[in-house]
Amino acid sequence: MLLRLVAAVLTLFALQAVLVAVISAVRPRGNVYFTVVGVALVTAALAAVADRLLFGRPLDSDGRLFLTLTHLALGGFLFHFLTLPDRSVTLRILVELLLAPDRALSLGDLAARYGVRTMIGSRLEQLRDGGCLSIAADGAIALLPRGRSFGRAVTAGRRVFRITSAN
Amino acid sequence: MIRLLLPVAGAVLFFALSWATVFLLRPRDPKRFFLGYALLLLVAAALTYRALWPLDRIEDALGLVCDLLLQLLACLTMWNAFYSVLWGFSGSLMHDLFNEPALCHRDRLIRSYEGEGDLDRILARRLPNLVRGGWVDHRDGMLRLRPKGVVMAVGTLASFKVFSLGMGGGVK
Repeated sequence: MLLRLVAAVLTLFALQAVLVAVISAVRPRGNVYFTVVGVALVTAALAAVADRLLFGRPLDSDGRLFLTLTHLALGGFLFHFLTLPDRSVTLRILVELLLAPDRALSLGDLAARYGVRTMIGSRLEQLRDGGCLSIAADGAIALLPRGRSFGRAVTAGRRVFRITSAN
Repeated sequence: MIRLLLPVAGAVLFFALSWATVFLLRPRDPKRFFLGYALLLLVAAALTYRALWPLDRIEDALGLVCDLLLQLLACLTMWNAFYSVLWGFSGSLMHDLFNEPALCHRDRLIRSYEGEGDLDRILARRLPNLVRGGWVDHRDGMLRLRPKGVVMAVGTLASFKVFSLGMGGGVK
C-alpha cells in the first residue's frame, strides 16, 4: 500500500512538472506561475479518474476527492519550488559565482553582473506591468491603487509581526 | 470530508505559533522556528489521524497523505508569504514607496539601496548569511563559491534550464 501511494504521489508530481517544463519551453515569455496553476487545475480532472491506473482498483468518492486534492497540493508545491530559482536574489548570486572564472568574483564584478540597479530596475518594471505603479520618463514613480493596497498590506503585515527592518 | 479539518487546524496552529514567536521572541532566524513548528504539527496531524481513522483501506492511507500534504502546503505558503512579501525585495520596495514619498523616484530609490559602504543594502543582508552558512567564502573583497554552494548553484541553474526561467533572481 505504501509503495503504491509513494508511486502515485511521485507520478502526479512528475506529470505536472513535465507539463510545466514543456509548456514553458514552448512559451518562454509566458508567466510560469499561471502555467503551474493552469496545469494543476486542468490535470486535476485526469487525476480524479486515474484511480484504476494508480491503485489498480476504483476508489470510493472520498478516495477520489483525496486523490484530486493531493494532486492540487502537489501543484502548490511545484509553484513554491519555482519561486526559489525564479525570485531568489541569493540563488542568483550563487549562480553568478558558478559561472564566473574560478567560481570567484569581486564585489564590484558581482555588482556589474547582478547589481542593485539591475535588480531594482527589473522589479520596478514588473510592478509596473502588474499595475502597481507607473514610471514617468524622468524616473518619477507614482503608486496606483493596486500598489497602494500592496504597500498598505505590507506595512500592516510588518506591524502585525513587528518587523522593523527587512528586505 | 471531516478529515480535511485536520490540516485546517494544523495551519491555524502554525500561524498562531509563528506569529507569537516572531512577535514576542523576535528571533534572528525565524525560519528555524517555522521549520520546527511545521514538522511537529505534521507529526501531530499524522498521530491524530491514525488515532481517529485507522489505515484499513487505501482510501484511508490516501486521506492521510492528502491531509499531510495540504497542511504542509498551507504552512509553506504562510512561510513563503512571510519572507517574500513582508521581508522580501518587492514587498520592501512597495513598503518604501508607500511610506516614504521622497523615494518615489527611480534614481533616489536606487541610491537608498546602494548606501554609502562597500555593500549595498541587498547584499549586506544576504552576504553574511551566505558566509555563515558555508555557501561562499568572502576574503579580501573576493567572493568564492564553496562546494556546498556549487551544488546549490548547479541545481538552480538546472531549474533555470528545465523551466525556462531565464537567469532567475527576479530579473526578467
